[in-house]
Amino acid sequence: MKNTFKLGFIALALSAIAACKKDKIEPTDSATLGTDNVVLKIEHTWQDSLEFQLNTDLVNPLTGDSLNFTTFKYYISNIRLKKADGSWWTQPNSYFLLDLSAQGTTPSMQLTGVPYGEYTEVEYVLGVDSTRNVSGAQDGALSPSLGMFWSWNSGYIMLKAEGISPNASMGGSFAFHLGGFSGVNNVVTKKSHTFVGNSLSVSGNGHCQIHLEAAPQTLWQTVGSVSGNSMIHMPGSGAKTMSDDFFGSFEFEHIHE
Amino acid sequence: MISLARLNSNTFMSNWRWIRLLAVIAVGSLIVSCKKEQVEPYKKWGFSKPDYFPEPVYNFDNNKQTFQKFTLGRELFYDPFLSSDGTVSCASCHANSHAFAGHNTALSPGVNNLLGTRNSPSIANMAWSPSFMWDGGINHIEVMPIAPLTNPVEMNETLANIIAKLQQSEKYKKLFKEAYGTEDVTDQRVLKALTQYMMMIVSNNSKYDQVKHGEATFTDAEQQGYELFQQKCSQCHTEPLFTDYSFRNNGLDQSFSDGGRFLITQNENDKGKFKVPSLRNVALTYPYMHDGRYYTLNDVLNHYATGVQHSSTLDPLLENGIPLPGNEKTLLIAFLNTLSDYHLMTDFWLAEPKH
Repeated sequence: MKNTFKLGFIALALSAIAACKKDKIEPTDSATLGTDNVVLKIEHTWQDSLEFQLNTDLVNPLTGDSLNFTTFKYYISNIRLKKADGSWWTQPNSYFLLDLSAQGTTPSMQLTGVPYGEYTEVEYVLGVDSTRNVSGAQDGALSPSLGMFWSWNSGYIMLKAEGISPNASMGGSFAFHLGGFSGVNNVVTKKSHTFVGNSLSVSGNGHCQIHLEAAPQTLWQTVGSVSGNSMIHMPGSGAKTMSDDFFGSFEFEHIHE
Repeated sequence: MISLARLNSNTFMSNWRWIRLLAVIAVGSLIVSCKKEQVEPYKKWGFSKPDYFPEPVYNFDNNKQTFQKFTLGRELFYDPFLSSDGTVSCASCHANSHAFAGHNTALSPGVNNLLGTRNSPSIANMAWSPSFMWDGGINHIEVMPIAPLTNPVEMNETLANIIAKLQQSEKYKKLFKEAYGTEDVTDQRVLKALTQYMMMIVSNNSKYDQVKHGEATFTDAEQQGYELFQQKCSQCHTEPLFTDYSFRNNGLDQSFSDGGRFLITQNENDKGKFKVPSLRNVALTYPYMHDGRYYTLNDVLNHYATGVQHSSTLDPLLENGIPLPGNEKTLLIAFLNTLSDYHLMTDFWLAEPKH
């Protein structure tokens, strides 16, 4: 017993010394000079040129449907930025629920603590990675109380689009709850965009922004009019097709510093 | 030593005094155990795996066990306040007096006496379960309570309302502070506390278990029943948890009003399949099957012996049913009765807290 205590004491002392030493030889390269916040924004457009709007009658040019959205929200997660030297900065605990009825149709995501440097590419995941779908009760943006979690068939609703439409087969309303994180019906999609030859210089001016663009009308690009199907509420081929089409519409727009 | 029964009878004791008392008992029992071995110490609190059980599926890495979180979870489990009209608690359909299954009815009433479509199973030994519900649709115990809490025919409440109600309760403010350090109520805190309570519902003290430990012996009939069970039943109802957690069509019907596992996987081959239930406490948790159609063990055995219905997804093991000639049914039932765990139903720690 005594020996164990002694050993423990020595180990503690040693680790304390090691920690002290390490502090002294900490490298001070340019990457640790400072950090700044970068804002990632997604502009939602309609018919390629108009701003997407909720609670407004919109005609989908792809199907001719008249759609009035009451809800449009979806998850973005696991945001990373690529430095000019090829290394990546990864945002820790990176989960955002973009709720367009609360945040407007150009919602922002704050990337805090981005180290100073030149960045050339952004990467992110549309939806919630499979790990968080199988790891029990989550909080923050992933709290099941936000209504984006299926209770009877565990998993996140990655995208919710609801509203009214005279064309809808289901009594004048539509409700698409798209999700699925495994197998052939996995909708979780990793995307990346280079800044087309430019680089984002994070140097502490507090104004760095990355703008992307997405087109909600593309949800119906393949599946067609809501007169055929106006409701999805589980993982499956319909959810997969609709999310693939919408997620395919995400494009790089511009950066500013 | 102070007995648990005496603690239990003191209804006015505050939680803090209670915990302090426990500490005294703990220290006391340490001294006692050092002094003389033959004095049985009170049951140690905290999850521990019975030695002949496999490793549990749930681990406490992201939900460190504390007595305060367990206490909060137990309070929530027994509180009908969580339901939309304050009438239904978790325990309404998972009663400790019924080995944590329903009250021996085929279906269990939710708010406004509404009924669902499936029998309420025992939730003992969920620490070992890789999936939850008859169709296995839920993949983690921490998110399991969301289904009954929000189902319109069960507790019919939203998580947001539950959080709001708990935040206004002086009792829960105190319990959340004790469990988590602050009064903040989040659904994650609610769910993790409920999990801490549920993980402690371990059934491992039936006569079967006592025989495993060499503390009891089977009667001749029980022993013969056990041997029959191992030949004819244990392929699916695998010891020591008495389920292999697979999904099977056990030949109840030729066509299916409830798609079972198919509702989750959308795979035609899963139509009419349901999770193999554990047989622990089976004699106490009638009626049987996912819809509670059989009220006696004899009915169940008759089904397997002569009643199996053929369909495209019928389990291959049941192609010819399970012949049970002579007195085999009687012997099997004698064995199944040894799986009743009366200690579980009277466990002080798991019982409804008295205030």
